[in-house]
Order: sequence, then C-alpha cells, then structure tokens
Amino acid sequence: MDRVSLSLIHRSPDHTVTTEFMLELLAYDFMQRSLLAAALVGSVCSVIGVFVVLRGLAFAGAGTAHAAFAGVTLAYLLDLPPLSLAIVFGLATVWITGWVEEKGRMKLDVSIGILYTATMALAILFLGLMKSYNPEVYGYLFGSVLSVTTEELLTIGGLSVVVLGTILLLSKELYFIAFDQEMATASGVPARQIFYLLLTLVALTVVISLKTVGAILVFAMILIPASTAYQLTHSLTQMTFYSMMIGTFCAVSGVLLSYAFDLPSGPSIVLLATSLFFLAVCCSPKRLHRIQRQ
Amino acid sequence: MTHPIIRFDHATFGFPGVIALEDLSLSIPESEFVGVIGPNGSGKTTLCRAVLGLMAPLQGTLRVLDCACEELRCHHRALIGYLPQKGLLDRNFPVTVLEAVMMGRYGALGLFRRPAQKDRDIAREALAHVGMDHHRNSALGALSGGQQQRVFIARALAQQPRILLLDEPTTGLDLTAQHSVVELIQQLHRELRLTILMITHDINMIRSRVDRLVLLKTKLFAEGPPQDVLKPEILSQVYGKDLVITDKDFVVVEDYHHH
Repeated sequence: MDRVSLSLIHRSPDHTVTTEFMLELLAYDFMQRSLLAAALVGSVCSVIGVFVVLRGLAFAGAGTAHAAFAGVTLAYLLDLPPLSLAIVFGLATVWITGWVEEKGRMKLDVSIGILYTATMALAILFLGLMKSYNPEVYGYLFGSVLSVTTEELLTIGGLSVVVLGTILLLSKELYFIAFDQEMATASGVPARQIFYLLLTLVALTVVISLKTVGAILVFAMILIPASTAYQLTHSLTQMTFYSMMIGTFCAVSGVLLSYAFDLPSGPSIVLLATSLFFLAVCCSPKRLHRIQRQ
Repeated sequence: MTHPIIRFDHATFGFPGVIALEDLSLSIPESEFVGVIGPNGSGKTTLCRAVLGLMAPLQGTLRVLDCACEELRCHHRALIGYLPQKGLLDRNFPVTVLEAVMMGRYGALGLFRRPAQKDRDIAREALAHVGMDHHRNSALGALSGGQQQRVFIARALAQQPRILLLDEPTTGLDLTAQHSVVELIQQLHRELRLTILMITHDINMIRSRVDRLVLLKTKLFAEGPPQDVLKPEILSQVYGKDLVITDKDFVVVEDYHHH
C-alpha cells in the first residue's frame, strides 16, 4: 500500500480502518524502528528537559546541539563514526558552559552565544571542505527518523538507558540542584559534581536525538514537553511524569503524522508539541488559580 | 564553658586582594543562640559561608564540628542546617511544601539512596515543629513570605542538624511575619537545644532573645551579652553617630527617633 492511500484511510472516521492503518504501518520494519526511536528520544528529551527548564539551562542546550552537529560534520570529513565526535563536541561545549557559569567570568548567555555561533561556523566550514554534497549530514541537521537504521536504534537505546538510569538513580540530587544549588551544597549534597553530571546528560541526550529530530529542532524536544508539564502541576515528580508522557506522545504521534501526510518528521513532532504547549498555557491550572486569586 | 562546636582562631577570609573578615577569634559552644550583627559589608555572610565550609581561611584556622573547615565533607555539612538569604522564589516552581522539606534529608541520605518512610516522618515532624504540616501538599509558591520561611526552616530542621545557620531570616517579611519567625527560632532553640547562629540587621527583634551578640565590622568589633554590646559608644563606632538607643532600650536611627 502506498503512502497516499494509507493517509486517505487514516483520514476516514471509521475506527476499524484507522486500526488497520496502524497495523499496516507496524508491519514495516522501518516504521517499527522509527516509532521506537521516536519513543526513546521523546522520553529521554522530555525527562532531562525538566531539569534543564528548572535549572535555567535552556540556551545551553541549544548551543550543545549546534556543537554536536559540528562534531558530526567533522566526523564525515575525517571518515569517523559521527556520533563519537558529536559526543566529544557536545561534552566540550556543555563543560565549558558550566565552568564559565561556575566561575562567573561572564554572563552565561554571552558565553553560550559565542560557543553557539563558533561551533556553527565550524560546522559550515567542515561542510564547505567536503568534496561533494552529502545528504546524510543534512539528515543530522534536519532529522530523519524514518531512516533510522538498526545500529543507530541500538545506539539510541543504549544511550537512553544510560541517561534515564542515571536520572533515576540521582533524581533527588538533580531536583535539589534545580531548586537551589547553593542550598544543596550547604546541605551536604555534592552539588557541583551533580551539576556537571547534568550537563553531561544534556550533551548525551542531544547526541541521541540528532538523527531523529535534527540539530536545529532537538532542543525544542527538550524544552517544550517540560515547559508544557510546568504549566500543569505544582509537584516535581508529577512534572517529570507529565513531561515524559507529553514528550513520548508527541514524538510517536509526530512520526505517524509525518508518514500519513508525507511531512518532514522533525517539524511534525516539534509543531505538535508546540500546539500542546499553547493549549497547556491557556488551560494552566496555575494560571487560572492566579487569575482567580487576583 | 562547654566544648566549642565552632571555633575561629585568628581566621582571615576573603579573596586575593580583598579581605572580607580579618583576624577573627571566636568560640561558640554547643546549644548557644548567637546573633551576628553589623552593617552591610561587615563580613556577616562571609562568616556564614566559612562555617558552611564554602570558604577556607586565608590565614588562621576555623574548626566546625571538630573538623577544619577546608576539610568539611558532605556528611559534616548535612549536620549544619542552613537558611540562606531570602532570594526571589519563582512562584511557579513546581514543588510542594513536603517535597521542599524532604530535600533537607538528601544530604544525610547520600547518593543513590531513596528516601524511606522514616525520612518522610522526619520531614513531617519538622513541618509540625514550624506549624506547617497542614500545608504539606500545598504548592510552595502559593504560600506567603512568612510561611515560606517557616518551610525553609523546616527543611533545615529535617537535616537533624547540630548547628542552625540563619542568614537574615526576617528580611523581606512584614512585621507580623518577622515577629512570628523570630519567635519560632527562639522556640526551636529552647526545645531542641540547637546551636543557632542568626545573622540579622534587626537588632531590636533579637536583643532579648539571643544568649550572645557578635558585632562585626570586617573584624570582630565586640561580642558578649546583648546589654554589653548594644552600648551607644560601641554602636556609634560601627554604625555612625546617627544610631542611638532610646530610653526604652530600642536602637534607632536618630533622624527617625526625632520625627
């Protein structure tokens, strides 16, 4: 069944036909891989996003994504595994960012702005040095979840387990430094080490997500589900749970939409998440409660 | 005098080229309630950070809980309950009162260990001590400034500390809330026999409540019972001649007194 006829079936109001459409989709290997990759990326991004949003590291993540893309371009230029150099570039950027914030040498947004543009300039330079046009590299820039290979899925799965496992083990310390790092240090939590660990997890998450949503949009997947959940609850644990649900739902639904309507996958995921965010802002219990009190 | 739990010995703190607190010698025995006063920039917060082990002395020594402050490790810090200066709390920060107080247990628990029922009971008990247990499921941001300070004191108590370090706990509160928070601190001192170091600008509020006052002006200017420290000749040297003591023993700025 071709893509157009599948999308026509999907538009039918008949529930049975929609189920058939889903079963048809899941029969394809590439679609199984894509949905699994999207679910993994959606959940990892949205969970780490909670700490990024609460700790005020949003812009740092955007800079990391561009640095990781510079690593990918250099890897293609040198014929090395792309994700390995993406990790090196991503980690270097977040650690420098963290060090600058810790030392208070300059404002965080200034240092990130410099690194952000410098790594993007490197990426453009490496692209220019390539002898021919390489569509795979652009896949990392814009995302191409439908072309995720089994090896890439295994890498995404492995890194997802590492990131989610670390968050699960150290969630109480991560929550505390997001709330107040100085208070955490004073209370006997090794807050500095936890802060650098958080930055490392952000870099790994960005690398995991590069192939799925692309360097330009990856940070939306970190930021938007967590920001949406932030509108809905006053509890840290609930915020994490809601964020994970929203992130996974948007990633999987975005892939299905992109397939059904022949749209690019990255933007489909991100625009769906953005729509939910605005819906949450309008219906935010916090906001409504504040208005009531006023 | 009982064994000092905090002991500064000719300790100087600061950064290269900037001395924040010079040649401080001071011993604080267990269970004493000490008020630390002084004008802005006199070294009060430096003293606080030093006790927390966040600043090492440039000269001299500081021992806290029988340990040199530069060697204070996480398990020592977990015994020091700290209430930092009131910052601007994001009223939308998603944390309930109980979640905020539970954070006080995290240092003592250590890495990788999940809070158990016992930790939740300790947090509830700390909330009960400050009269906020009935608010445990409320959003922290929905509370008033005074209630939030009570919650942060409960967070410090949940550490089961030996020392309670309070950095200007009444700043930014209205008069009623200030009074209520200081009453609470005094009550905790009475009931739990904690060693309390309270940094404050509000001399009148604490003068009758502390065992001892420490007056700083980048060095130890005076220390002793409040009546010995709050003398016009001492205060005028630190705050200037506009600060006077009224016939009812209140310390005021002269211009205000005359109006």
